[in-house]
Amino acid sequence: MTDAAIRIDGVRVRYNDQGGDVLDIEALTVPEGQRIAFIGTSGAGKTTLLRLINGLIAPTAGRIVILGEDLTSENARQREFRRRIGCIFQEFNLVERSSAYRNALCGRLGWAGPVASLFGMFSDTDHALAAKALAETGLENFAHRRVDSLSGGQRQRVAIARALAQDPALLCADEPVSNLDPVLAEDMLALIANSGARRGATTVMIVHHPALAEKHAERIIGLAVGRIVYDSASDGPLNAVALRSIYGRSPTPETVPLPDGEHRRQTA
Amino acid sequence: MTAPVDQTSRWAGAIRLGTVLIAVVLIAWAWHGTEFDTVRLIAGIPRMAEFLARMVPPDMGIANIVVLSTIETVQIAFLGTVLGAVASLVLGLMAAANLTPPWVHQPVKWLLGIVRGIPVILLALLFVSSVGLGPFPGVLAVAVHSTGMLGKFYAEAFEGAQRGPMDALATAGAHRWQVVRFAALPQVGPDIARDTLFRFEMNLRESLVLGLVGAGGIGFYIQLYTRSFHYDKVATLTLVVLVLVIAIEQLSFFVRRRLS
Repeated sequence: MTDAAIRIDGVRVRYNDQGGDVLDIEALTVPEGQRIAFIGTSGAGKTTLLRLINGLIAPTAGRIVILGEDLTSENARQREFRRRIGCIFQEFNLVERSSAYRNALCGRLGWAGPVASLFGMFSDTDHALAAKALAETGLENFAHRRVDSLSGGQRQRVAIARALAQDPALLCADEPVSNLDPVLAEDMLALIANSGARRGATTVMIVHHPALAEKHAERIIGLAVGRIVYDSASDGPLNAVALRSIYGRSPTPETVPLPDGEHRRQTA
Repeated sequence: MTAPVDQTSRWAGAIRLGTVLIAVVLIAWAWHGTEFDTVRLIAGIPRMAEFLARMVPPDMGIANIVVLSTIETVQIAFLGTVLGAVASLVLGLMAAANLTPPWVHQPVKWLLGIVRGIPVILLALLFVSSVGLGPFPGVLAVAVHSTGMLGKFYAEAFEGAQRGPMDALATAGAHRWQVVRFAALPQVGPDIARDTLFRFEMNLRESLVLGLVGAGGIGFYIQLYTRSFHYDKVATLTLVVLVLVIAIEQLSFFVRRRLS
């Protein structure tokens, strides 16, 4: 079935009656398995759009279908739906006092028996997937370390492992690298993109740096003031005109992708 | 050149003087109200000495009773704390504003407040008169009293837990109870363990007193021997209490420091 993983139709989001729409998306369709990145200034609506896609908020109006499930339906609130969406957060959102392994195993909670898991009992499959996810993120040797003893980069790897352990059909990453230095950011985006691709999972990332977005995503969506102003699928490559429409001013050297596809590495 | 005179510091002096005056008036008021009398205190010293003299030497012949009643006291405090902790965990979760809707956490908070307000000695009297003399009503009194206090502490611990990890697990399809078990409990575990241990220490001291109203333990024998004027036996028990309290304080201090 060549179904779309994400289908958004005339969706508007507004947080209170006084304010205007913070998001107004005419239409957006993401085919299964595509790797896309949202770019835009702070407040452009990137996070709102992502929270809409992973079901954390509901639209004020319009229709949004994720993995074949209408988000306004009762099913969308069930664990059977939620467990198929893996989320990675800017602040990692890990349980700091638990081990890396324990955190990765938490990715299996949506699949584990609700009662058995309360007593710490997980199936062999759950353990195997958690261990595999940790290996995939390069944390084999840190599996039994407490998260609060790990570095920022390692923590984000644990968070990625937790999302991967879910065996997700959709992977959502909300500014996953904003707390990391530029070199780590590269590695982390590559890790997210590759592990998503390996599973055939649709991957949605919010990336602050257009160059990074271009390198790690197949498709780039630019947002400004709550609307989609650029879509690389229809508007062609991300050039100076496109950047101006997204960021509202002429690009600076840091935001321009270099011609040979290699990217500037800033040293922090 | 001089800095401008700070007018507020003059006022600060007046306020300080006023505070001291108010404190003096309050002390005088309470002194009068409680019939505090240094003359009577000094006159009472010989009787105090006489009382203490009758305690010497402590009667070590009641080792049997000492051991048994000490064990009973520890058992009352232990079981009371465990039962209280279990009830507090349930009520504490219900009273946490970030985990339950207002119509659940508000009433539970009030309930815990009311339970906290009842003196433990009153609870002991209530249970002694309903289930009879002995350690059992002591356990009940300690458990109920602990719940009022621990339930509040647990709720506050849960309220202090970070939202992010809980939301992350809920988003990943975790059930509400799984979120509590895997995201909330690990965060607050050391805090509630510390609170519980401290409560055990306090319960041990309280269960000594509970014996005075017939709710078992060392206190029961202290009360018994005092009434029959066996002060040398009271002395032995008092010494045991002293050692017990100091020991448990040290132990609790040691464990709590390791938990932080």
